[in-house]
Amino acid sequence: MRIEAANLEASRPLVLAVDDSIDVLRLLKARLRHETLDFETATSGTEGLEMAKRLNPALILLDIELPDIDGFEILRQLKERPETVQTPVIMLSGLSSAHDKVTAFDLGAVDYVTKPFDIAELRVRIRAAIRTHLLLQMLAQRAQIDGLTGLWNRAYFDRRLSEELARCARHERPVSLAIFDIDRFKLINDTYGHPAGDAVLTGFSSLLRREIRETDIPCRYGGEEFALIMPDTCPQDALAVCERIRTTLEQVAWPRHPDHAVTVSIGIAGSNRCGFHTEGAWLETADRNLYAAKSGGRNRTIWSIMDAAGRSLPKAG
Amino acid sequence: MEPPTRHINPLRSDLADDPDMVELLDFFVGELGERIASLQSHLNEQRLGDLRTLAHQLKGAAGGYGYPDLSRIAGTLEASITEGGPEPDPATVKHAVDALVDVCRRAIAGHHAA
Repeated sequence: MRIEAANLEASRPLVLAVDDSIDVLRLLKARLRHETLDFETATSGTEGLEMAKRLNPALILLDIELPDIDGFEILRQLKERPETVQTPVIMLSGLSSAHDKVTAFDLGAVDYVTKPFDIAELRVRIRAAIRTHLLLQMLAQRAQIDGLTGLWNRAYFDRRLSEELARCARHERPVSLAIFDIDRFKLINDTYGHPAGDAVLTGFSSLLRREIRETDIPCRYGGEEFALIMPDTCPQDALAVCERIRTTLEQVAWPRHPDHAVTVSIGIAGSNRCGFHTEGAWLETADRNLYAAKSGGRNRTIWSIMDAAGRSLPKAG
Repeated sequence: MEPPTRHINPLRSDLADDPDMVELLDFFVGELGERIASLQSHLNEQRLGDLRTLAHQLKGAAGGYGYPDLSRIAGTLEASITEGGPEPDPATVKHAVDALVDVCRRAIAGHHAA
């Protein structure tokens, strides 16, 4: 499941109504006018599916009896597509049998309102569905985010690393992985206190976020360790990014300890044409290079290319 | 022979006094005349599928426009077709169409009287 950043402040969720009756659509539009939402309509199943995919609505109101595609079939297709699988769907139907309701819920509808509908009731059901959807999105996102730094957490990293390695292998694309470890972090904590240590972690996270590309995936790996997945990035480019991060960090003046510069050691594993290595092999290589950077005197980057035979040839940055 | 002039008992929308509904009711009632014509031609030519679709749509919409009776009677027509087996009883269907046409006419009269 890919979670897009849930924008809970998005003040006007989009509701898409799919119904072949113009009377019903007109009525919905007028009756929902005072709600804080935007409203779009489709009069056929084909149009509804196309709009759902294109507009990514916060909620779909779906009629069952449509001229071209059955509403149940539309629901099935919505739930099969990655873009719309999470979108809540309220069935709005003239069919009132228990069997139809059971079918709708089985297929993934969140609610079922029979026509003719009471507009006050429909309004609160719409609000409830949107509210629940936003909270679920927020929960799913929170569960993947590190509380202190706001970066992705370890669980998210583990999953995305295997996804990205598989994707780059499939398309024979380059990919790089970097692991960062703040140098002598324990000393900062012990000397200046934990708030100072936290400030270093959050400060480094902001720097990391600022220096990378939109498609890169920055994670807090644990403690003072960070990991960065760089899809479609060859090892040489990954090295350039990491060196920029490293040299920027050493110049930062920290309000809590202006005379104590903070540095970071970095290990990179990269490939120009992602091969057949396991996530474990990638992590081991990056980790080994990180260790080499530490034992070589810290504040440096060691990188290596994962070649097809699985060997890696460490290089100093 | 002239058809007997029938006294029409105007039917007013439950939502006729709702300022939000004024324009919507004009649209809805404005199209009822056409709906009556369609109901009658579908019946005359025994296009039961079209008749059912029209009844289904009226059932779904009319309640929201403040005409619960119209919804209910449209539902009766829909049921007379869907629950009438492979060949619904023509007399039952005709009776249901007449009842629906009647309530549509009452709605038109009630809207214009307001």
